[in-house]
Amino acid sequence: MSEAIIQVNHLSKVFGKNTVLKDIDFEVHPQDVTSIIGPSGSGKSTLLRCINLLEEPTGGAILYHGTDITDRKVDVPGYRSKVGMVFQNFNLFNNHTVLGNCMVGQIKVLKKSREEARKKAMFYLEKVGMAEYINAKPRQISGGQKQRVAIARALAMEPEVLLFDEPTSALDPQMVGEVLEVMRQLVKEGLTMIIVTHEMAFAKDVSRRVIFMRDGVIQEEGTPQQIFDHPTNEMTKDFLSRFRQA
Amino acid sequence: MPSTFFGRIAYLIELYGPSFLRGAWYSLVIAIVGTFIGCVIGLIVGIIKTIPVSKKDSTAKRVFLAVVKAILSAYVEIFRGTPMMAQAMLIYYGAAALFNFNMSMWFAAFFIVSINTGAYMAETVRGGIISIDPGQTEGAKAIGMTHYQTMISVIMPQALRNIMPQIGNNLIINIKDTCVLSTIGVVELFYATKSVAGALYTYFEAFSIAMVIYFVMTFACSRLLRLLENKMDGPDNYDLATTDTLTHTSGMYPFKKREAENE
Repeated sequence: MSEAIIQVNHLSKVFGKNTVLKDIDFEVHPQDVTSIIGPSGSGKSTLLRCINLLEEPTGGAILYHGTDITDRKVDVPGYRSKVGMVFQNFNLFNNHTVLGNCMVGQIKVLKKSREEARKKAMFYLEKVGMAEYINAKPRQISGGQKQRVAIARALAMEPEVLLFDEPTSALDPQMVGEVLEVMRQLVKEGLTMIIVTHEMAFAKDVSRRVIFMRDGVIQEEGTPQQIFDHPTNEMTKDFLSRFRQA
Repeated sequence: MPSTFFGRIAYLIELYGPSFLRGAWYSLVIAIVGTFIGCVIGLIVGIIKTIPVSKKDSTAKRVFLAVVKAILSAYVEIFRGTPMMAQAMLIYYGAAALFNFNMSMWFAAFFIVSINTGAYMAETVRGGIISIDPGQTEGAKAIGMTHYQTMISVIMPQALRNIMPQIGNNLIINIKDTCVLSTIGVVELFYATKSVAGALYTYFEAFSIAMVIYFVMTFACSRLLRLLENKMDGPDNYDLATTDTLTHTSGMYPFKKREAENE
């Protein structure tokens, strides 16, 4: 097995008196697609935000190619530019056009020229099917379109890993379809992804590994077949049975 | 001296028109320059006051930031909390008495208005920055932008747009409040009007003229700023970028125009 890109060791996160994450351990290897499922409030999003350092972990370590990024001396912006993130609420820059959203990071962070940045941005916007809308402002396009632009924005940075924080939770069923379609395409191309999601069918379909979390703890992890077809943990069984009924 | 009210007004304008205009011009220039410099001060102070401090920062950086923020807070509180007229007297005469520094009247005027506006704008800018959805900051951080880059490329352009009405407010307040500078001898509109009124004992008429001039200046400024706001918002429609020659690329036609075409 190849060397891990990200290694989470004994990670914990405490908000005040609230322990949100307890002793989390897992690894992400190149081209892995890892889905994190579990009930709301189980700490899935917090875990993802810790990996991108949007939340500061309280304890434990997150190793990126062997370097602990929770260390004080680490260049956090530099690290973040290699680990992209797609948010539930898109978080597109409202003052930039669709094209601008995909260019600004390349120009400011990667110090690319405008032409280079534009070329790359167009390449990825085409990939997500948003090339026609380059002149639109975020407020002028639909939720599904926004999320596809957000994915293109993250891809334009050419990250090693892309984190998805419930990318379809704010969308209606049709838009969910168009975003999942784009994500499926990325899986096929071998992008390394960590996906927090409530789309069970999608998770089962595309993941190489599934992590089930509850109460801030990884309760069970394994291949999609293990988790979805033969769960051993009672909590996993209980959680998945609710989805089957629905 | 004419016997009717309007007759006397016409007489005053004929006689002292240039005095009024010069006074109005001084008021306007002091207000515009003061508001502009004040906005710059406010931007800088507002940005510094919103720099986040994390536990990962070194102790030296945290102490330094805390001291700077405390000084800036003191500046804001003191200048917001005392009357501009008293500040004008204190600074203009105090500089001469304490430091033997004789400010020119113009320098004093710009200085006092700027520093006052700066104190108000600092809070306005801070409000503008914290009003922007934290998701915007997270989006920028997630692609590796530093705090500074995030501020310049993402947060400030949006915050500035949101505080435009307040900048307009400040400009209008400054046009009117330049009259307190008459206490240190700046011949702006209020001073000029008082001189004219006193010369012929025509207070009602002279100040009627001044009121109209003040209103015209403030109203013109408020409309101009509204135009600027609309320009900042950009067009409501966008052009599709497509190579399909059969598609209309220029957004939507306004509904009314189409109706007219059908007739």
